[in-house]
Amino acid sequence: MKKRKRSKLVKGKPASSGIGIGKAWILEDRRLMVHPDKIEPADVSVNIDKFQRAVDALLYEFEELKREADEDVADIVEAQIQTLKDPELHKLIREKISQELSGVEYAIYTTFNGYIRMMEAAAPDWLDERTVDITSLRNQLIAVIRQKKQKVSVHEGAVVFADEIPPTVMIELSRNKIAGIVMQRGGLTSHAVILSQSLGIPCVVGVNWKKYPICKGTDVAVDGTRGELILRPSEDELQQFKVEQEQQREREKLEAEAAGSDHQTACGASFTLQANIEFLAELPRLTQKGARGIGLLRTETLLFEKRGFDVEDQVSFYSKVLEASAPGDVTIRLFDAGGDKLLEGAEEEANPFLGWRGIRMLLDRPDLLKNQLRAIYKTADKYPGRVRLLVPMISGLNEVQEVKRRAREVYDELSGSVQIGFDDVPFGIMIEVPSAALMADLLAGHVDFFSLGTNDLIQYTLAVDRGNEKISNLYDPHHPAVWKLLEMTRRGAETQSIPVSVCGEMASQPAAAACMLGMGIRELSMTTQAIPGIKALLCSRSLEEMKKLSRFVLSAHTSADVKAAFSDFMKENDSVDRDQIKSG
Amino acid sequence: MVKKTVKVLNEAGLHARPSSVLVKNASQFSSDFTISMYGYKVNGKSILGVMTLAAEHGAEMELIFEGPDEEEAASRICSLFENKFENKSS
Repeated sequence: MKKRKRSKLVKGKPASSGIGIGKAWILEDRRLMVHPDKIEPADVSVNIDKFQRAVDALLYEFEELKREADEDVADIVEAQIQTLKDPELHKLIREKISQELSGVEYAIYTTFNGYIRMMEAAAPDWLDERTVDITSLRNQLIAVIRQKKQKVSVHEGAVVFADEIPPTVMIELSRNKIAGIVMQRGGLTSHAVILSQSLGIPCVVGVNWKKYPICKGTDVAVDGTRGELILRPSEDELQQFKVEQEQQREREKLEAEAAGSDHQTACGASFTLQANIEFLAELPRLTQKGARGIGLLRTETLLFEKRGFDVEDQVSFYSKVLEASAPGDVTIRLFDAGGDKLLEGAEEEANPFLGWRGIRMLLDRPDLLKNQLRAIYKTADKYPGRVRLLVPMISGLNEVQEVKRRAREVYDELSGSVQIGFDDVPFGIMIEVPSAALMADLLAGHVDFFSLGTNDLIQYTLAVDRGNEKISNLYDPHHPAVWKLLEMTRRGAETQSIPVSVCGEMASQPAAAACMLGMGIRELSMTTQAIPGIKALLCSRSLEEMKKLSRFVLSAHTSADVKAAFSDFMKENDSVDRDQIKSG
Repeated sequence: MVKKTVKVLNEAGLHARPSSVLVKNASQFSSDFTISMYGYKVNGKSILGVMTLAAEHGAEMELIFEGPDEEEAASRICSLFENKFENKSS
């Protein structure tokens, strides 16, 4: 035994945040060795019997798993059950045994492989994803027959190393308190990663760990936030990790406490902080971070994940979001694709930000728009009073009226099968195109709420493409003109007494958030990470101070003036930990 | 024997979820159910078969039902296609 092995830092992709320290446990690479044995005709029925009993045993196990599991896990298991019961699969396997005189293991192996090959060769991505599930079934059936059903006896506190982890194995693993997961493969939307995130198990993927000398029991420290791990960490490194782990736990505890407290300024004025959400994987963090609902649910992933943007797939997606964010409300933004988020089949445009996207695209694609509206109304019916509809890139009244008309059409088509009224689903628009801000008072009379998309508003107003490195410093959220438009929007909303919120990045900038509150914008939506920090700030200052700040900002002449005002405001903040805000 | 021609109306084609719904419903009937698409035939009660068909949006297929409840089966399955495999109840 070597006296002192050096520690090794290995980098991968962060898949699920958190720190995990433990001993390695390797999930066997299920590269089965199956022999093409031939059997005697007399043994045919014995072999068929073995197959049937293996199927029954797995079915029993899966049915149990399904019973104890929550909805999405149950769906995954249900799919496995359907496959296990597949009549063609059974027929082919039996034939292989009785006609080709193959042993049961080989019959199973080759039949499954036939399907796997077909799936890998097929065009759609979603089919490819299924091969992990099918391969897992194949291996589990054979393991049952060999009576070597790996009981996944991982020890508590282990760091699991695997090539990739099939869903049912992931579920079993998660029952033990494992410290972390390191996978060679595993996309960020794979079942294993999604489950890691919802279970809070640190996970790093894309790591070619096999080339390192890792065996069962090797000490490992995993950082799922940075996407790194250290093999055989030294005392110092271990200390560092432990400190980091403690800090994380402390932070989480504070956040959980803060999350429960009211959204109130020091003087008792209330405000609401919500989350901007794009992926289901972000949902578990909502309550922990103290979000009171979802101010912006981006829906483009439905278009790009190719999981299908059928009405039912959408309803299922939206429902998951609604479940995870109870009792808060959820504002669903219609597909804002085109531009930088190229829709399949869309041509490249010279100027995508000023191009065919958002509501313009939707109005040209009535089928897409209809489907989404339909899915939203159906979801709203399942969760009455909690769903709001948001239209992107509105530039004038015509568009508002046209979308409303189509929404009404879709609603009327559904009216037999839903309980909610058309007006029960608030109809709102993004204020991101300057023309909409300039006409806010008029538009306010035609919609139920505004949501300020400051990212794009700034780009359009200052004529700056944020992605253009040459001029990206001109993208300036401190520019007085931007604040004037915010104020114009707010006043427009006020004339008709409709709510207005901000969902752009500006809302997560501390002084800016305070300024917005001072102006009278009380609803802010931002990335979940930012919520605790902003909450801490807003709860520690009085509305009077924030009003003072906003008065100054709205009469400022230059960005420098606004920046200085923000800086002064923050300096007053002795009671709040500067770092806490920055990292918020 | 009952034969019906249907079209896949789902924008994303007959992917995992609709395939699952199709097979679940078809398996409730005792009649045999075959899907014929562009010369390729699969057992409509086989989830692996239906999934590997990977029928795309707009694909036409012939549904063949044979058995004591063939009329009922045909009617149910056809309406699934017509409704894009949506749930009727909210």
